[in-house]
Amino acid sequence: MASISIRNLVKRYGNLTVIPDLNLEIADHEFVVFVGPSGCGKSTLLRIIAGLEPISAGELFIGDRRVNGVPASQRDIAMVFQDYALYPHMRVYDNMSFALELRGTPKAEIDMRVKRAAALLHIEPYLDRKPKELSGGQRQRVAMGRAIVRNPKAFLFDEPLSNLDAKLRGQVRAEIKALSQQLKTTMVFVTHDQIEAMTMADRIVVLQNGTVQQYDTPEAVYERPTNQFVAGFIGSPAMNFFPVELQGEQAVFAQDGSAAPIDAESSSRLRKSGKAVLGIRPEHFAVAGDAAAGATVTVKLVEPLGSDTLIHFDLAGAAAIARVEPSLRPKVGDRVTLRPQPAHIHLFEAESGTVLR
Amino acid sequence: MTDAPTTDRWIRWLNTIQLVIAGIIILTPTAWMVMSSFKPSFEVTAYPPTLIFSPTIQNYIELTRTTPFFNYAINSMIVTVGSTSLGLLFGIPAAFAVSWTRISWPAILTLAARMAPGTLFLLPWYVMFRQVGLIGSYTALILSHAVITLPIVIWVLLPSFDSIPRSVFEAAQVDGCSVTRILWRIAIPLVGSGIAVSAILAFVFSWNYFLFALVLSNGDTKTLIAAAFNFVGEGSTQWGALMAAATLIALPPLLLAMLVQRWLVAGLTLGAVKG
Ligand SMILES: Nc1ncnc2c1ncn2[C@@H]1O[C@H](COP(=O)(O)OP(=O)(O)O)[C@@H](O)[C@H]1O
Ligand SMILES: [Mg+2]
Repeated sequence: MASISIRNLVKRYGNLTVIPDLNLEIADHEFVVFVGPSGCGKSTLLRIIAGLEPISAGELFIGDRRVNGVPASQRDIAMVFQDYALYPHMRVYDNMSFALELRGTPKAEIDMRVKRAAALLHIEPYLDRKPKELSGGQRQRVAMGRAIVRNPKAFLFDEPLSNLDAKLRGQVRAEIKALSQQLKTTMVFVTHDQIEAMTMADRIVVLQNGTVQQYDTPEAVYERPTNQFVAGFIGSPAMNFFPVELQGEQAVFAQDGSAAPIDAESSSRLRKSGKAVLGIRPEHFAVAGDAAAGATVTVKLVEPLGSDTLIHFDLAGAAAIARVEPSLRPKVGDRVTLRPQPAHIHLFEAESGTVLR
Repeated sequence: MTDAPTTDRWIRWLNTIQLVIAGIIILTPTAWMVMSSFKPSFEVTAYPPTLIFSPTIQNYIELTRTTPFFNYAINSMIVTVGSTSLGLLFGIPAAFAVSWTRISWPAILTLAARMAPGTLFLLPWYVMFRQVGLIGSYTALILSHAVITLPIVIWVLLPSFDSIPRSVFEAAQVDGCSVTRILWRIAIPLVGSGIAVSAILAFVFSWNYFLFALVLSNGDTKTLIAAAFNFVGEGSTQWGALMAAATLIALPPLLLAMLVQRWLVAGLTLGAVKG
């Protein structure tokens, strides 16, 4: 159990700078998820924390200890790898007891801890098997078991769910979250799946090109994204974006000059820069009976999900999606009037993508 | 455009023909050698070779009577086992280090040393070993034969170590293993069949190598194969005894290979690790 502190971290591979300058404070007991598109540096950052990659510049602390030059074997962290990386020649039991044995833990205690972890993860029947005799889901559990038998300063997970089928993924996701609440240990979890990030994290680190775009709670990242990248990355289906500009006192869609229904507060923000990108999440459209109350669009595609219905349409030259009541089942070609809920409109600077506040 | 099944059949035919030719080339001299060793001495050099004869072990009796054959055999065993052990002792960590660091030049260097003609080493070694008074010692022979065994061990094991997923080593690091521990507890157990293959190949090559022993051994430490070489042209060549010696020399590697045939195939096809 320890905090993790990253200060002015730089990571280069030869001439390629993967992480230009990164600062991050992870509190003790916190469950932090690194999320971002493939290649943004999530694994690199995690491996740096683990001690599997050297640092090019900057400082890394685990607890109060500066661990820059400390090898992975002496950092006292546990890691679950994407391919599970079980020891192929060892039985499940030995896979789990290995780290404890290396630390000279007494046999009786090893046995107690392995059995307890196995019970927690429902892998008791497999303790005598070799990894190749297990299914993917079982291997994943063993990999977690190998981590939790120890009492490490922190758990690191590198996309541990990506090789599981969708149903199992949801189940294990919930289990990991429950486990984290039970274990009360600092956890860093890497994923490219924003749903995993939203559902599990105490705080989310959204990464792009090795830089932190936003570091905040799931609610804050969702409701108050700091820039257009975060807004577009978090949430599914993704936030809709439309270029807008001010014409006189009126906000209009830049593409076709039709009126953008923006409230006074948003207008005043728009006034600062003259033009911007308007962002609105699919669920923040309301269906209006009155054509004057919003934008009237032609339905291109309807996806009934049961819990709600997705309507695809074009607005102001951009493809967009609205999430509406499940009872609402318009047909392709129908005209529907949609009104963005003013309180949920985001405005981003056109060039930088930074949110306008 | 070729018709696929026809091509397949052709390839199978060619394979069979290849195997038959290779078999004839390899087995004919061997069969000739073994047969000759059981012929009465006057028949050994008969031309055309006689195929039907009354077998005798006269040549073998002659061999053990006129030469300290078993001493030579023991010498060979000492040198071969010694140099194979030495090759494994240094080759296993070396191969692991090359695989781990991905710095490959040391491995290439050993290969170059192996490919260089043995005569290249002879003179410097002779001088060096004489300086330290090791000429004629087992030590000199074992050390020199390590030039044969070490590259074999390294090059057989490199792909085996390379085939272990990197993350397995990383998991061990995170679990608290030093690199040495990873070698002992993770890497070596995972390349068992590779080690067996490298040991056998090293044994066979070291056993059959005669050049170094020719120069660096003395009467007491001469290896079997170097001694057999001396049968030729010592006075009149004892062909029958020579054939008996050759047959006996070929036996240990053959037995070894047969004993561990299954491992050998598994190791050579690199079934080492699959996650
Ligand atoms: N060993 C390496 N050598 C060179 N470049 C690397 C190495 N490892 C990762 N990279 C590069 O660093 C970037 C970040 O990689 P990574 O951290 O694996 O991304 P992510 O896990 O977010 O998908 C990528 O552009 C990748 O190509
Ligand atoms: Mg990754």
